[in-house]
Amino acid sequence: MKSITILMIMIMSMGIFTGSAHAQEMTAQDIINTMTETMNPEQTEGKMEMTIMTSSGEERTFLYHTYSKGGGEMSLMKYLEPSRVKGQTILMLNDANDIWTYFPRTKRIRKLASHAKKQKLEGSDFSYEDMGGSDEFINEYDAVRLDDEKKEGRTCYKLELTRKPEGSAGYSRLVIWVDQEYMVPLVIDYYHDEDNSLREKQLICRDIQLIDNIYTPMQYTMYNKLDNTKTTMKIVEVHYDVDLPDDLFTEQGMQR
Amino acid sequence: MKNVIGQYVPFVVLFIALCSLPSALSAQVDIYGYFESQYTGIYLDTAYFQNAYNKLRVDITSTAVKNVEFGANVIFLHYFGATSWNVLDFLPADVTAAVSPDLYPYYQFTLSDSFFLDNIYARLNFRRCALTVGKQQISLGTGYFANPIDVLNTKDALDPTYEQPGHNAIRLDVYPANRMSIMALYTPIAFDWQNSGKLLRVKLGLGHFDFSITGYEYQYTTTDFYTFEQTQEQRRLFGADAVGELLGLGVWAEGGYTVIEDADDDLYEFITGGDYTFESGLYAMLEYHHNSSGKSDHTDYDLNDWMRFFTGEQNTIARDQMYGLIQYPLTDLIMVGGSVIFSISDGSAALVPMVYWSLYENVELTLMLNAYIGEEGKVFSEKLGNGGFIRANVYF
Repeated sequence: MKSITILMIMIMSMGIFTGSAHAQEMTAQDIINTMTETMNPEQTEGKMEMTIMTSSGEERTFLYHTYSKGGGEMSLMKYLEPSRVKGQTILMLNDANDIWTYFPRTKRIRKLASHAKKQKLEGSDFSYEDMGGSDEFINEYDAVRLDDEKKEGRTCYKLELTRKPEGSAGYSRLVIWVDQEYMVPLVIDYYHDEDNSLREKQLICRDIQLIDNIYTPMQYTMYNKLDNTKTTMKIVEVHYDVDLPDDLFTEQGMQR
Repeated sequence: MKNVIGQYVPFVVLFIALCSLPSALSAQVDIYGYFESQYTGIYLDTAYFQNAYNKLRVDITSTAVKNVEFGANVIFLHYFGATSWNVLDFLPADVTAAVSPDLYPYYQFTLSDSFFLDNIYARLNFRRCALTVGKQQISLGTGYFANPIDVLNTKDALDPTYEQPGHNAIRLDVYPANRMSIMALYTPIAFDWQNSGKLLRVKLGLGHFDFSITGYEYQYTTTDFYTFEQTQEQRRLFGADAVGELLGLGVWAEGGYTVIEDADDDLYEFITGGDYTFESGLYAMLEYHHNSSGKSDHTDYDLNDWMRFFTGEQNTIARDQMYGLIQYPLTDLIMVGGSVIFSISDGSAALVPMVYWSLYENVELTLMLNAYIGEEGKVFSEKLGNGGFIRANVYF
């Protein structure tokens, strides 16, 4: 499963490479490699708002601080709202292969095994794995470039990524539309783990703005086609020119 | 023994807080907490008893001074319904037969309305260490249903994640390297270094595992519930715990070996478990727990065993038990599941189905039932009463 955090970082970083990426002769692997090379700004600090729309039409909104370093190798999320989860913190190291959660009401830190990455994050359409970082686009999938298409009113490269036989990603297949001007993925279709014809989720990125010289979609929405739910994430604020200390990504950092 | 230093610790913190008041007033102070209302119903023999409480917890935290956090919470508790019980009503006849009728009132307990300061502490954060002084929550170990190395707290196996009370302590956490921490804890008793609790814990992360070793010297109070005489003894606990991943499974283990001064027998207790999340979202966990202070034959359970279990002086009555837990997200807002607690030593079990429902943004409902399957005299005897509770939490 492709990391959403990494995807965001990737998206945020695309703009600075648009000149070289415009070459029509780029292969799918070139695009994926370029994306992967450029998707990892060294450090990011931001505030996100996540809104879950359930199948019954009810909404749940979460606000949290997010920090990442080492190109997403280390990341930390701290909930600010609602009160029910305020102060809960998730630390992910080694591209989300090691996860710790901190519960401020009990002052308890719990380490989760990697299988917990499948669990939904506060009932959203994102899992822990989605929120962590990894190079899964390169390591887990083989990429093929299809005919260019218009998507969301923009001219896009269209790529199909198929899980490698030895891959362990949570999806069998991905289809990605990448904006040719900004090199920002606009749409990603995720296909079911065991049925590569069954579209499970769709991610749509919107409202691209230039922040710190990096093109940044300020909103992206994950639609769960099977459960008929959706989760929208909005960037409330983001900074790339930050100097985050390493000890932020520790148990001590979780408790601050 | 009167905990003199322990009583002073909150006031020291309060004094520090008052000294910082001018700057604190100009800084943001977070006030939050929750309201909790719980209704419990119990079938005991042929009678139905009802008990309920309303609880308000208000937390205050401030980071007015750079690198310093002040935190406190107060708890208001109001009970109604059946608030007065006699423990003997729940115990086997052969156990209660040993108690003189004159002493029956001593086994009566009453849930009284209360208002208390559960936590009040100051935490000073430095680059590679943190000092926390005051009444604070402390949790140790990797076990889910029980923590053999956490002698400060006792978990309720039916509801093991419920918050624990604060403890008067001075705690120093040092972080000398990435994924390494050293914790030194002093839990004062009077002006007596010898008898006060002293804990040292070293934690190290290696690969996908976290390992810890713990040493704790402390004074332990044992009650003889035939005479209600209490005795203090010095204990030294040597513990270790680990949590990580093996073959895709989450695994953990935690054990403690306790040396009792002037006693012939030492105690040991350990728990080990594993968990897994399936593709469907189904979460499953299994734990095995051994406690040498428990007994392997239920006919040996006596009044002290039962009372020490009820009062939290010891974690279990039985020597060996298994715990199982499953949880499944039925919808985005509803989680269903249940746990099974099986006493290997006497063959009795408790079934605990549960439902969590996120009713509104900051409102949660919890329904938990308990059914005991066991003959009288066993750990999970039907005589303990079957029933359940419904709990509502409103967070602010």
